[in-house]
Amino acid sequence: MIQQGTSAHLDILPEAGVVSPSMSTREEMERIELLQGTLDLLILRTLQLGPMHGHAIAKAIEFRSDEVLQVEQGSLYPALHRLIKRRWISAKEGTSENNRRAKFYALTFRGRRQLTVETSKWDKLARAIAQILRPGEQEEA
Amino acid sequence: MTRRKRMLADLEQDIRDHLERETQDNIDRGMSPEDARCAARRKFGNVTRIKEETWEVWSVVWLEQLLQDVRFGIRTLLRSPGLTVAAVMAIALGIGINVGIFSVLNGLALRLLPVPRAQELVSVNQIFHFQGRGERFIHNDASWFSYSEYLDYRDHNHVFSGMVAYEPYVEATLRDINVQQVLGTAASCNYFDVLIEHPARGRGFVDSDCGSRAANAVVVVSDDLWRGKFAADPSLVGKKIVLNQTAYTVIGIARPGFTGTEPIPSAFWVPITMQQALEPGSDRLSNDNMSWLALLGRTQPGVTMKEVRADLDVIAGRMDQRHPRRSTSLVVHVATFFSSPDQRSFLIPVASVVLAAFALVLLIACANVASLLLARASVRQREIALRLSMGASRWRLVRQLLTESLLLSLAGGALGSVIAFWSFIRITQLVTSHLPHDFPPFAVNVAPNLHVVAYALVLSLLTGIAFGLVPALRSSRPDLNSVIKGDGTSFGASKKSGHLLLNTLVGSQVAVCMVLLLAAGLLLRGLYSAQTVDPGFEIKRVATLFLDLGKQGYDSARATGFMQHFRELIQGLPGVIEVAQAECAPLSHDFSASHFMVPGRADTVAIEYNHVTSDYFSLLGIPIVRGRSFKPAETHEAPGIIVTESTARRLWPGQDPLGKALREISGREYSVVGVAKDAQVAHLGQLDTNYLYFPAGKEDDSRSYVLVRYATGFTDVATSIRDAGRSIDPGVSIDVARLEDYLEVWRAPSRIVAALSGALGALALLLCSIGVYGMVSYSVSRSVRDIGIRMALGADGSQVMRHILWQAMRPVLIGGAVGVALCAAVSGVLSSMMFGLGAHDPLAFISMPLFLLAVAFVATFIPGRRAMRVDPMVALRCE
Repeated sequence: MIQQGTSAHLDILPEAGVVSPSMSTREEMERIELLQGTLDLLILRTLQLGPMHGHAIAKAIEFRSDEVLQVEQGSLYPALHRLIKRRWISAKEGTSENNRRAKFYALTFRGRRQLTVETSKWDKLARAIAQILRPGEQEEA
Repeated sequence: MTRRKRMLADLEQDIRDHLERETQDNIDRGMSPEDARCAARRKFGNVTRIKEETWEVWSVVWLEQLLQDVRFGIRTLLRSPGLTVAAVMAIALGIGINVGIFSVLNGLALRLLPVPRAQELVSVNQIFHFQGRGERFIHNDASWFSYSEYLDYRDHNHVFSGMVAYEPYVEATLRDINVQQVLGTAASCNYFDVLIEHPARGRGFVDSDCGSRAANAVVVVSDDLWRGKFAADPSLVGKKIVLNQTAYTVIGIARPGFTGTEPIPSAFWVPITMQQALEPGSDRLSNDNMSWLALLGRTQPGVTMKEVRADLDVIAGRMDQRHPRRSTSLVVHVATFFSSPDQRSFLIPVASVVLAAFALVLLIACANVASLLLARASVRQREIALRLSMGASRWRLVRQLLTESLLLSLAGGALGSVIAFWSFIRITQLVTSHLPHDFPPFAVNVAPNLHVVAYALVLSLLTGIAFGLVPALRSSRPDLNSVIKGDGTSFGASKKSGHLLLNTLVGSQVAVCMVLLLAAGLLLRGLYSAQTVDPGFEIKRVATLFLDLGKQGYDSARATGFMQHFRELIQGLPGVIEVAQAECAPLSHDFSASHFMVPGRADTVAIEYNHVTSDYFSLLGIPIVRGRSFKPAETHEAPGIIVTESTARRLWPGQDPLGKALREISGREYSVVGVAKDAQVAHLGQLDTNYLYFPAGKEDDSRSYVLVRYATGFTDVATSIRDAGRSIDPGVSIDVARLEDYLEVWRAPSRIVAALSGALGALALLLCSIGVYGMVSYSVSRSVRDIGIRMALGADGSQVMRHILWQAMRPVLIGGAVGVALCAAVSGVLSSMMFGLGAHDPLAFISMPLFLLAVAFVATFIPGRRAMRVDPMVALRCE
């Protein structure tokens, strides 16, 4: 599914093609599907650490979520280009650790601003869903 | 290079790098190189799809895909030129005739008036609602205004920069070298200024022309009249012409092409204050309770229609206060040729029936093309299945298939519209020039304008979706496995529903075609009965003369003198057998009717009547079956009347009508002195309407018909009659016609409608038989193996033929039956064109279905023969 336009709202449809269609071990079944637009947020958050190339972004997302979030690595690229088009990230040529040419993606100023907006939106959404799912706990807290 | 292009160019390198890194990671984790590469690819996903999705991020997706679809569509259509040409032709036909008829209706009802800045002109009409009994005099149109009402609206509105009133269709006798009847207009003196129609020569009216009653005899003549009657004499301005016995000074000649604001062209315009001089004997200006003036206003800049309505409603409300028990509602809209509510309430139903009939042909064309596309889709299913399995989304495929059908429909629509624009101008000219001479000249501009082009475009788009959607949805849902494996019998599991769909399409084509053919058949039968109908009186060798002496400036006494003298002269002419006089000539579209009360009965009866002289009955050969005819001495004052047989039967069933009394609503009482045989003197095809005759008197002389039975040739008699009239008064216009010609006026509409519906029926039949032919040849080619098996198992050619005929004729029969039922349900609307035949005329209802079935049979038989020649061995081997 392609998200078009420049609105950056989160909606809660499952993102098609995020879960790898190939392997279906038990372990993988327990992994969580990414929500539409969530991948964009994760990329932005990851790039806050500094410019990275595509493979590193995928690895970082997997690693930082204790491998619960499994990104179909290919779907990273349409998302990256979407972010470039919105001028939230920029891409430039660089050399990687092992001295190889690679394309590095970095957060722009607008991207940084967007990340704050998206993060607070996400918090709101998560709180709202939690409230619906576990009303008792929320009242106690 | 744009950023976008650079990004996309780098994408491939990016993906390669990514996969290499992932592979390296996997190897580091201890996988074999092959496994590592596989795992990396698996984890990455479908590379092609990823590339496409990334590409879509950057493109104005729909536009690029559209261009792609259009390019691909054109290529696909060009690859099968036969199908493309057939589809485009069918659509061109369907859309062409619809656009053509719409351009005619547009010219009649939607086109703005042919004056500058016509979009500012507003037509104002009124409808009165009376509590209880109301009285209003009407001349021409009930929704028009009196002169005082016009002045009220003109002087008290705040929305118009100017407001005009005019009385159209004023008959006038123009005395020049010859005497001629022309139609003109009496208009308020701001007419030319408000319409911004300044005459090409001379001037228009100024306020002083309307200053006093009957003082300013000035006239503006139309360009047509100037060229036709005055040989484009440049010095005509300033000269005098005589209209209805009054001399007018020509002050201007209108712009060529300006024929007034009504569909029937106006030959001249005089100031409204000249009304009584122009129409002697009727003073309309001072009658505050008469509808006779059409109103047009030109809105001030920036004023909306809502504001116009609100402002005028205030004035109407003020008038209502002066007339208790009467309330007025105004009908206000942008001015066109058919503006008044009466004209619209006539035109709209007629237009909808006509448009519906034409749309039916388009419907057949759609069904036709849909089945063509469906048949072709089965040939393309391998291509479609391949694209689906490569990851194309179904929506994307549907869009692409729809683009193809829209291309077809737009091409067909463009072709059809061009042909329609070209041909309907000529067809309209042909029709209007072949109207009988009693029809007024009728100006309809059928040239295409924005309305028509928009209609054509919308129609084409709708058509494309209508015939393209179902095949597109169906063919984008094939069973991938069986198709790719080459088990290409049909749509896999949905074979049955595929056939059902095709059969439904064919069946509905037949049903619609049946409706149109039956309607055409009924109308042709109606035309035949109109041509052969016996009106119940002697119609041959009778000349009719119409004299409107009142309009030509005669007072009652002079008119009576003239008529007496004239009739004596005619009686003495060689070749003349008998002369009679009547208020209305038979079948002349001149009607009079009144309400009568029968003593002893509560309700009133509407009865049409005529004032006739005693020799009317013998001249027309209408026998008096009971009692007597009028005596020559009987006049209006005499109480005797003659009723027709069926009127007598209806009013006094089972009794002797002679001596029975009838009271007119005014209170005058009459008694029946005779009973005449029924005759279709008022309406052709209606024998048993209520009808009665009064004796003619000298009151009829100022406007009446003279009937002359003659023995020699018509032209000689007509000439000598005109000479006789001129010998009494050279200024009198006498219209001499054959009584038979009046029949033509009745027959012309039925002839035009029958020709139109016959043409529609023929087109429908053509399309429908192509449809049936196409479906049968498609299903034969699809079931070659089937047929081969049957033949291998021992079936002979005729058995195969029977099978195919049965398969094909089933939807035809069902569709035909539905069509007959539909037409039987709606044929009542045609009854006015049937001239005495019932709306369920059995001859039409038997012959037309048989004809259609025969055509469908032939359309099935020709491709069916191919199936009989199938060689079972070849058929079984080829798959």
